[in-house]
Amino acid sequence: MSSKRDIVIAGYSETAIEYKSGRSAYDLGGEALAKLLAATGIEKDAIDGLAVTAPLSECPNPFFAVYMTEALGLTPTWLNYGGTGGCSATGGVARAASAIRDGLCEVVVVLSADAPSTSWRANYGAYRGEFQDPPGVQGPPATFGLLMSRYKHQYGLNSDALGKIAITQRNHALHNDNAYAKFKTPITMDDYNKSRIIADPLRLLDCVMFCDGANAFLVTSEAKAKSLGISKMVYPTAYAEITNVNGNQSCPDITETGFSKIAPKLYKQSGLAAKDIKMFQPYDDFTIAVMMKFEDFGFCKRGQGSDFTLDTDLSFKGTLPLNTGGGQISAGQPGLASGGLNLAEAVRQMFGEGGGRQVANPTNALITGIGVIPYARNWGTSAAMILEA
Amino acid sequence: MAEEKAGRPVPKPSTYVDTQAFWDGAKQGKLVLQYCKDTGRFQHYPRPVSIFTGSRNLEWREVSGKGTIYACTVIRVPGPGLDGRLPLSVATVELDEGVRILGNVLGSDPDKVAIGQRVEVTWDQLSNDVQYPAFKLV
Repeated sequence: MSSKRDIVIAGYSETAIEYKSGRSAYDLGGEALAKLLAATGIEKDAIDGLAVTAPLSECPNPFFAVYMTEALGLTPTWLNYGGTGGCSATGGVARAASAIRDGLCEVVVVLSADAPSTSWRANYGAYRGEFQDPPGVQGPPATFGLLMSRYKHQYGLNSDALGKIAITQRNHALHNDNAYAKFKTPITMDDYNKSRIIADPLRLLDCVMFCDGANAFLVTSEAKAKSLGISKMVYPTAYAEITNVNGNQSCPDITETGFSKIAPKLYKQSGLAAKDIKMFQPYDDFTIAVMMKFEDFGFCKRGQGSDFTLDTDLSFKGTLPLNTGGGQISAGQPGLASGGLNLAEAVRQMFGEGGGRQVANPTNALITGIGVIPYARNWGTSAAMILEA
Repeated sequence: MAEEKAGRPVPKPSTYVDTQAFWDGAKQGKLVLQYCKDTGRFQHYPRPVSIFTGSRNLEWREVSGKGTIYACTVIRVPGPGLDGRLPLSVATVELDEGVRILGNVLGSDPDKVAIGQRVEVTWDQLSNDVQYPAFKLV
């Protein structure tokens, strides 16, 4: 993606986040689409492109994206099936921009819907049964416990900083009507420190919880958006992603993430620097990932994440507003629709629709995605996008 | 301990690439890993090609089983295959041959396991005739 201001996100929608909703990704996706149509005022049949995120809850069906077009009554001339988990939403927007520029379609919906707390049907297969499951590393928490231990060893880690991230985001979720109801109570540092350890030094309140939910974005050209009568829009002026960073090494430094590789590209494309960023909506599966991204995106130096976190006002009124809707940790993680949650909050804020958590002067936002947790490293795909007004 | 582990799942070998050499080695108490003959480097977990070159010029070689703890955690919450194993010490071990492997650290208080400690391979009995590499502090 270039820094040209020709493509826009011209609308967004979200369902409420629920736990064990009993609903399917199709039903949640349909709700997100209907809300997007209502929010933008466009006709369904104006949509000629669809980017769909592969969901945990429907993954046994390799044709989920095609089934979704049938469910929604759409006839796209461009269909993208996103398999980078929490990077699929920002990645879907970037791919849609390319497809629009190539003339493959004009009006794209980027749709992410998942219901893993109702129906977990993922099976990653591959090496896991032989090499990851036997030592007991079944899920992301153990891998993040390992990552945190290494970070702590190399740089030092103040648990109060992680607690502050959790508390700040929880305070933001209190203003979010879509946040999972159970998370809408404040937490204190004492709550954080007393939350049980899952995989040392990872605590319960460092972690997301799988829920159900959906989100959708309308991506089109600025000219087409205006011809459709849409006035609220933001410009994705930079996007970069990388998968399997250091994948040709047996012993890489696992505290070096993909974000350290893509952050310079992102700033170069947009012409912005870390000091110019008005709000940070980073993918937050675990608090340490947020802290490491403060470093990777140059808000502070490598290894200074704890001090930066403790010294910075991260509230929606602060110098670097952080995950102003509560993030996934405090709104609930809608499975692999998760990346759209951070993106939707950025667009909402830039549209001036942040309500009780509105950021002042929201002229740009930095959003990130994380996709999949690999063997003994940090994470699989790192993606980031800058939106500008 | 053997009774506690009776319920652990026994992995099926060679479900995605041919890993028979790893399992045959384990049966004899030898840690056998994949080796790239073009670059002289090990890789783990096993892959269909060399992660260094993309070639299939791979073979299996026994490693010393000696290494250093690169990262470590203690799993404290229940999960599939974890019955009777908690708290469970898990480490990323960097073997002296220059390759990392995930493994449990057995025979020590999990809270005493730390980055930088030297370890060597030991064997965890998954069933009567299947053993799996783990590590112990040395």
